[in-house]
Amino acid sequence: MEFEGCSCFRQRLVLSTLSRKREKILNIRSKDDNPGLRDFEASFVRLLDKVTNGTRIEINQTGTVLFYQPGLLYGGSVEHECNVQRSIGYYLEALLMLAPFGKTLLRAVLKGVTNDPTDPSVDLLKVTAIPLMKKFGIDGAGLEIKVLKRGMTPAGGGEVLFTCPVRRSMKPVQLTEPGKIKRIRGTAISLQMANRIVDSARSILNKFIPDIYIYTDHMKGASSGKSAGFGLTLVAETVNGTFLGAEVMSTPQGQGDPVLPEDFGRNCAKLLLEEVYRVSITKHTFVSGVDRYVIEFLRHIRDFFQIMFKIEQQKPGEDEQKGGEKVLMTCVGAGYSNISKTIK
Amino acid sequence: MEKKEQKRHQHKHSGPKAQKKNRKKEQGTEQEQDERKRNPRAFSVQSAVRMAKTFHRAQDIKTKKHHIPLVDRTPLEPPPVVVVVMGPPKVGKSTLIRCLIKNYTRQKLSDICGPVTIVSGKKRRLTLIECNNDINSMIDLAKVADLVLMLIDASFGFEMETFEFLNICQVHGFPRVMGVLTHLDTFKNNKTLSKTKKRLKHRFWTEVYQGAKLFYLSGMVYGEYQTQEVKNLGRFISVMKFRPLVWRTSHPYVVADRMQDLTDPEAIRLNPKCDRTVSLYGYLRGTFLKNKCQVHIPGVGDFSVSDVSFLPDPCPLPEVIKKRALNVKERLLYAPLAGVGGLVYDKDAVYIDMPSGHASRQQEEVRPTTELVQSLIGTQATLDAKMAASKVSLFTGTAALTPEEVQENEKQNPMESREWDENAQRERRRAVFADEDEKDDDEEEESDEAEEEEEEEEDEDEEGLTTLKKVDEKADETAAPPVKKQKIKEPMEMPAFADSDDELEKSEGEESEEEEEGSALIYIKQINLWAIMNLLYVCLSVAEEEEEDSNDEEELGGLFKVSRPERSKKVRADAMDCSRFQPDSSHDWDQEEVRCTSIRDCFVTGKWEEDKDAATLLKENDELYGDFEDLQTGEVHKGDGGDDDDEEEEAPQVKLDDDEVQKNKRLEKKRRLKERFDAQYDDGDATYFDDLKEEMQKQAELNRQEFEDVDDEVRVQYEGFRPGMYVRVEIPALPCEFVTNFDPHYPIVLGGLGPSEGNVGYLQMRLKKHRWHSRILKTRDPLILSLGWRRFQTIPLYYIEDHNGRHRLLKYTPEHMHCGATIWGPITPQGTGFLAVQTVGGIKANFRIAATGVVLDLDKSVTIVKKLKLIGYPYKIFKNTCFIQGMFNTVLEVAKFEGASIRTVSGIKGQIKKALRTPLGAFRATFEDRLLMSDIVFLRSWYPVLVPQLYNPVTSLLMPVGQKDTWAGMRTLGHLKHDLGIRNKPNQDSLYKPVVRQVRHFNTLHIPKELQKALPFKNKPKQMQAKGKTPRDLQRPAVVREPHEKKVAALLDALSSVYAYKNKKAKAEQHAKHKEFLKQKEKQDAERQKRLKEERKKTYRAMGQKEKKKLKSSLKGASKDN
Repeated sequence: MEFEGCSCFRQRLVLSTLSRKREKILNIRSKDDNPGLRDFEASFVRLLDKVTNGTRIEINQTGTVLFYQPGLLYGGSVEHECNVQRSIGYYLEALLMLAPFGKTLLRAVLKGVTNDPTDPSVDLLKVTAIPLMKKFGIDGAGLEIKVLKRGMTPAGGGEVLFTCPVRRSMKPVQLTEPGKIKRIRGTAISLQMANRIVDSARSILNKFIPDIYIYTDHMKGASSGKSAGFGLTLVAETVNGTFLGAEVMSTPQGQGDPVLPEDFGRNCAKLLLEEVYRVSITKHTFVSGVDRYVIEFLRHIRDFFQIMFKIEQQKPGEDEQKGGEKVLMTCVGAGYSNISKTIK
Repeated sequence: MEKKEQKRHQHKHSGPKAQKKNRKKEQGTEQEQDERKRNPRAFSVQSAVRMAKTFHRAQDIKTKKHHIPLVDRTPLEPPPVVVVVMGPPKVGKSTLIRCLIKNYTRQKLSDICGPVTIVSGKKRRLTLIECNNDINSMIDLAKVADLVLMLIDASFGFEMETFEFLNICQVHGFPRVMGVLTHLDTFKNNKTLSKTKKRLKHRFWTEVYQGAKLFYLSGMVYGEYQTQEVKNLGRFISVMKFRPLVWRTSHPYVVADRMQDLTDPEAIRLNPKCDRTVSLYGYLRGTFLKNKCQVHIPGVGDFSVSDVSFLPDPCPLPEVIKKRALNVKERLLYAPLAGVGGLVYDKDAVYIDMPSGHASRQQEEVRPTTELVQSLIGTQATLDAKMAASKVSLFTGTAALTPEEVQENEKQNPMESREWDENAQRERRRAVFADEDEKDDDEEEESDEAEEEEEEEEDEDEEGLTTLKKVDEKADETAAPPVKKQKIKEPMEMPAFADSDDELEKSEGEESEEEEEGSALIYIKQINLWAIMNLLYVCLSVAEEEEEDSNDEEELGGLFKVSRPERSKKVRADAMDCSRFQPDSSHDWDQEEVRCTSIRDCFVTGKWEEDKDAATLLKENDELYGDFEDLQTGEVHKGDGGDDDDEEEEAPQVKLDDDEVQKNKRLEKKRRLKERFDAQYDDGDATYFDDLKEEMQKQAELNRQEFEDVDDEVRVQYEGFRPGMYVRVEIPALPCEFVTNFDPHYPIVLGGLGPSEGNVGYLQMRLKKHRWHSRILKTRDPLILSLGWRRFQTIPLYYIEDHNGRHRLLKYTPEHMHCGATIWGPITPQGTGFLAVQTVGGIKANFRIAATGVVLDLDKSVTIVKKLKLIGYPYKIFKNTCFIQGMFNTVLEVAKFEGASIRTVSGIKGQIKKALRTPLGAFRATFEDRLLMSDIVFLRSWYPVLVPQLYNPVTSLLMPVGQKDTWAGMRTLGHLKHDLGIRNKPNQDSLYKPVVRQVRHFNTLHIPKELQKALPFKNKPKQMQAKGKTPRDLQRPAVVREPHEKKVAALLDALSSVYAYKNKKAKAEQHAKHKEFLKQKEKQDAERQKRLKEERKKTYRAMGQKEKKKLKSSLKGASKDN
């Protein structure tokens, strides 16, 4: 398979690894002043190499062409120094998709930036992705994301432990009802201003539901990372066990406009509400909403697995106030099963 | 055989039995029923252990019956059942197939080649395939067979092929197997016949399962089996049930019953060996087949499908099931490879053959048309030429088939005529791309239906003339996706996947024009859906360049707004890879109004749906369980009924005045009650197994319902081609030998491959030499494996796992044990069974299946090691330390092995310490004891072995016709040496020589003089010198007795011997006497002992009695005391 450009870089590599189809990505930033793969992408490729066995990766001199022949997903104990240009969430999102299909239990220690404004943070993935994976039948004691150390944008220094058991196949799921939100939880990351952030967020959310609890992060000293920053992650749980998340992170010091913690909290709460408004009924709730990224993902799934989603629009009832229009997506699975797992 | 009339049982009317019965009758049936009560002892628990045992056994049997529940994926209209007729040559396979076909369809088929599909009943079709006596065919067919009719020549008994086939079946998932005994008429003696039957039956049962069905075909009548017996066999086949097999339910497969070469004839002319494009036809089985997937054709290789399309079923089941039996027209027969099948139209050509369903039709009449089609099949001409040819032969070959009749036929069969229509359209569609005139024709025809047929003929005539000219167009046509071609006819198909935007719009326009009112509603719904799908899968990339479309999009799918900061496509290709979504149109959540109107109901605090509202639920529950009496208190609770005011205040109640609503509600209530009841009473013994089964059932139901109402063209895009469809699979770049050496007698199977099964890697498998195979297998000897769909040759390495998990290489497979094997081969899911044969060419007398096993693991690296002993010699010995050389060559090598344990042959253990400077590779080592210079030191280590990367698919289908069973791949070393006449040159030292025993010489024992002196005389070496000859003078003279002296000596001799004799005699007498005496004494002793014992007994008894008395008296005294 051939692709052009480095958008959806991770999707392509992950799907290629899962479907074992070799691929070639051409013209990676070929017209750019700084052509070729960025450091974080190279780091990502290296991480893939670590969790697989027999992968062949060829990158040309300028780094504008990548040839990737996937090997067998292996898992095992992996320690990876993630590049600080992107947060650990960037790497973790891919690992979440790969880990259940390895040969052995994956135990990855990822070091780098835990929270940054661009990528979904580790906290958000922890609260949204893990319950979703459980729905697919990937559960058990082994499945967890744990923040060992926190690290903010420019310097990093965070550490995240991700363990995931292997499964032979996944269960089919029906997530046809978003359900009603029964509680809102959250984590505020800040040393001094946590209370101010929390209060402002609550002020907005309290009008909807009283069951709100926002924790403040306990990381102090060495485990709180190399650079300063603050952020808020909110997650809403519905009665059906789906989770909707939103988060806001501060920009690194010296960049962007300074924000008041109060505004900050309010912004995050609003984001969550927006999320609730948009939430669509898809299999991939943790990447909720049908945005550009999801569309690309669906297309790539079609390219790699020949799976197309049947899409139906659900018209909301007349007097119901449930946010935006929703979409029901259905597909027939590819019959994918984990062929790396050993049987004894 | 007539049964002898047996005497009926006579009931007794008098006598004790009758009286007993009468008595029972009078007393009624109560007693009989209550046997447990009447005879409780018979039913009581005799032994807890036995009870536990019986319980365990019952449970064991129950659990053994469980299979892992599988999701039921059988389609509503299942594909024909594949019936493979298998047996050694000359056993009557073709005859049986012929008889079965005759039984089902009342038609005679003289030449059985390729699969024959027939309608066997109202809900079942059969595909009959004959398996020839080639292990390649046997393997391929065992993988696709649903039912195997295993023919056995009873006059001969079992043949190896039968057992081989059974073993192949066992490995690849056991299909249903039914044995058929033939040649039973050769038995003259009835007793031997029944004995043979019994013997064969029991042998068959041990192979298949106890009680497996074995049919007897007793004799032939006019070269056919007896009708009644065939009918019975047919009935058995019709009612047979099949269990889904794991491999087949997870892989799509097609047993091709038609092959068409689509290659451009010009290309063939230029290069007769060019790769061919071939379309294969057949019923899709197994699971869903995705377009553009990879398939494996056993005997040819791996190919990626360029195009799949479904065709109308050429052998459909009857549409309405009303009557009891099929009528003649419904008994269809379809066997294009054998030259039989109805009028078939498809994308490439027209196929004509004998009209089906005429029972009275004679074989001779069938013949010409069969020839016709044979000629059609045989020709390698262009498609258009073929088309023309078919036309011509239609008119010339059969006088009955005039064009008018063809049209009549079409009218009779509406489906076919529709087909014809489609075909014509397709041709005209082609013209659209080619020249404008035909396009005009096209449009005219659409308007005018009456002229159509004539026009068709014109078109075809034209084609006949301009064959060469159109070849290229045709090729273009076939290369383009099929979706495009059927656009006009199929409004529901996905225009979305067309190449360009304008085409898309056009087709949408056409859709709206052509749509009928009946499906208008669905249409509107669908168009909306398409819009979304377009947006998702196609438009976005195109639309982004054109800004105008964006408004349209927003209208269509409100959700899908695309935020794009940059316009240029180039930049977008390198866009940031981030999954976080930045909402662009944020609501103002500060405003109360926005908050209330938009997402209020998304929270639990908001309004609930009617059926989920807590208040309503509560109320319903009250209605169900409201009325109850508390027995303890005697209090009676009345249900609230419908008049609960405060609840009504809380939740806005919907007025239930509508009858419909009432009814629904009642039904709902009933259902819920039932659920409650079920949960209460059934869940007691609901096991995990039952739950799992139910869950799967639900999922299967859901899967079935989800796409039920979607049009086929579209449905195919979502879920792939459904099993049961008749599909046409186009495969590009097939080797030319596939077409030139095509033999319809050999099955062509298209096995779909899973997402990663097209790759090659290392496979670890568990393998066992088949116990009937005569020789053990050698590591590194090439072996032909049948794994998954494939047959391939590879080089396995055998290994065994040591206790520490090490995989140690074996030179040969163990005789009766499993061992591991690693091969370089196609990635296949774990748990897949495989079998190995050493050669597929030729038929050897003994059992061909060399080994069987299962795939355990897939990996990209190998972990097999073999033992490596490094040998060194000491060159300097200190106390326990010594210097050893000859083991390594450099200091570096030694450094790598520092601390490794070493050992001498005599068993002294030691350790490598440090490298020495000179000589190179020497090192210092310490041992637990002092070494000798003659000791040899060795280091035991493990050396990783590389698995040779040989993966050589067996390309038996590419062999010339008649030589397809002669495929020979890589030869084994032994084979090669044998063929080339190379003898192994053995090491001279290893040769056996005659044993010559040398005489051993021992040195004399030397004892020091001092020691000699100290020794006692007894042990002193005696320095005896040999006596010399005594001199004459020293020799004593011989004594010569006088006669008197002689007499005296003789007398003395005589006396002494008399004395000796007397003595001896007296001694013997004495001995005998003593023996007697001892005997006597023993007897006396025994008597005395006996007496003594008795006396003792007496005294003891007396003593005992006395004591007893004493005790009694004391007790008495005590009791008195009390």
